[in-house]
Amino acid sequence: MVKRRSVFHKIIFTLIVLLIVLFCTFPFIQMLSTSLKYQWDWGNPSLIPKRINIDAYKELLNIGQAEKNVPESIKLLLEESKELTREQKKAILDKYRSTADIFPFFRYFRNSLILASTSALISVIFAIFGAYSFSRVRYKGRGTIQRSVLLVYMFGPILLLIPLYTISSSIGLISTSVGTFLTLLTIYMVLTLPVSLYMLGNYFRTIPFSLEESAFIEGCSRLGTIWRIIIPLSMSAIVTVFIYCFMIAWNEYLFASVFLKSFSELNTLPIGLRELFVSKNAIWDRIMAASMLSALPVIILFMTIQKQLAKGMTEGGVKE
Amino acid sequence: MTINQLQAPGSLLQKMNLEKRETLFGWSLILPAVIIIAALILYPIFYNVYLSFFDVKIMQENIYLGFQNHENIITDSAFWKSVLTSVIYVFFTTMGTAVVGLLVALVMNQEFPLRGVVRGLILLPYVAPVISVVFSWQFIFDPVNGLFMHIAYDKLHLFAERFNLIRSPQTSIIIAVLFGIWKNFPFTYLMLLARLQAIDRGLYEAAEIDGCSSWNKFWYITFPEIYFLLGSIILLRAIWNFNKFEEVYLLTENVKVLPVYTYIKAFTGIMDIGQGAAIALIQFILLIGFILIYVKRVLKW
Repeated sequence: MVKRRSVFHKIIFTLIVLLIVLFCTFPFIQMLSTSLKYQWDWGNPSLIPKRINIDAYKELLNIGQAEKNVPESIKLLLEESKELTREQKKAILDKYRSTADIFPFFRYFRNSLILASTSALISVIFAIFGAYSFSRVRYKGRGTIQRSVLLVYMFGPILLLIPLYTISSSIGLISTSVGTFLTLLTIYMVLTLPVSLYMLGNYFRTIPFSLEESAFIEGCSRLGTIWRIIIPLSMSAIVTVFIYCFMIAWNEYLFASVFLKSFSELNTLPIGLRELFVSKNAIWDRIMAASMLSALPVIILFMTIQKQLAKGMTEGGVKE
Repeated sequence: MTINQLQAPGSLLQKMNLEKRETLFGWSLILPAVIIIAALILYPIFYNVYLSFFDVKIMQENIYLGFQNHENIITDSAFWKSVLTSVIYVFFTTMGTAVVGLLVALVMNQEFPLRGVVRGLILLPYVAPVISVVFSWQFIFDPVNGLFMHIAYDKLHLFAERFNLIRSPQTSIIIAVLFGIWKNFPFTYLMLLARLQAIDRGLYEAAEIDGCSSWNKFWYITFPEIYFLLGSIILLRAIWNFNKFEEVYLLTENVKVLPVYTYIKAFTGIMDIGQGAAIALIQFILLIGFILIYVKRVLKW
């Protein structure tokens, strides 16, 4: 009786776990599946494509696109007509290779990458010093600053968007593309700074002070101990915080949508994807492939720091 | 004795110096971050209050309106509709993430094979970019190709015709809430799991000896242990969900929660930044009001 009940229990339990996993991963499976399907296969509820179609990925990654739009008859005509010069042939071909239709995935990817990694890096550097000051140095006003940093948790980005946009446009920061890029970079850095400070501060507290004391005795300066002891010992936490900040900036849509309005060449991936979706209909395979490719870096980064991140979030508190 | 007396003023001076140096050092380390936060977060918030009193013109002189913007908003029924939408959205997403997060945390607190892998997979919705998962959700609920309509219409005959749940105004909020729960429950789960694992196993063993049922064990041991954490998480999630923009706007423009309403007012069509600033301000005041009530009632501070 007892045994039967435990077998029954085990089956129910396994089913529940499977259900949870399915709930969490289904949209990702759907994404992968649709990105690999042909249009005639979209309505088929099965997740396994009847025939694998990687055209969407090829198009996004710009593989073998040069000849795609040229009709066969034109190709034949060009090959047979000997009297045309090479320049003339090229001019004819160029007419068909309209690049306006191609989604500039690489450019958007590069923009996102530069913005997210630079802002995260600067944020982490400021946070290392700030967090050291929070957790190790005793002085008046420390508590107040710490609490104000926490208070920033309550401000939604929409509250900052309007004043920041008004300020930066009235002082002419966002009238050039370089200025816009730097403004957005600074904003991302600011948005991630409070969480970096908080998470790193909590981590630094776990490093025994005696290590630093022995360094002082050896004649190490205060800054020297940050460089030689704190940073090497908390490298994993620093990387975690960096990746966390990177993900916030990589995923950001609101500020980018307002600030990048007049500079579409600076578009980040979220903005580009949204435009692709709004401007054209029924291109699910391309949309899904683009979603897949923009989620991939984040998922890979996340997998590498998963355990650390879980620890950092639960021990250090977290902000979105 | 004399030596001690001689040394005392010196060491006091040294101590003073040390304290001063420590303060200076601490401040100089934190100062860059403080300046950045003050200049780019705190100042803009005050500037937002200032802007809400003006008809804001980019590149031109602003026109002072007094409380005109605030009045316009409070008397606008669309604003109150948006407040209601926000309240519904925040309530259901917050409660939903708390319930789902707690259930998943209880399940994941048991030992089973491949638990590490499952834990990683559960966090995926939380870390994936919003923009990349909204399209997948839209596909699932797509009236022509989507799996949901395939099951609900073709197999179960729940509806009279295929329609788009995300686009239709009555049902879009349901999907938005579901999406919010799906996206954010891993946060609640993670926090709760860490707390659950810290509960003393001995308590459960003692309860088992006393013949407690599983429900009683949960209600008398687990729940009191996580009550305050759960309360704090619900508060945090309510604040964050109240401020959510992307997760709603990118999924469906039909659900006009306050941030979406502000965005549409301030940055689309006839851009009215002054009005936008006023809505953002009122929204912030509403949030503070909610936090104060919640902290008093639930967290009993």
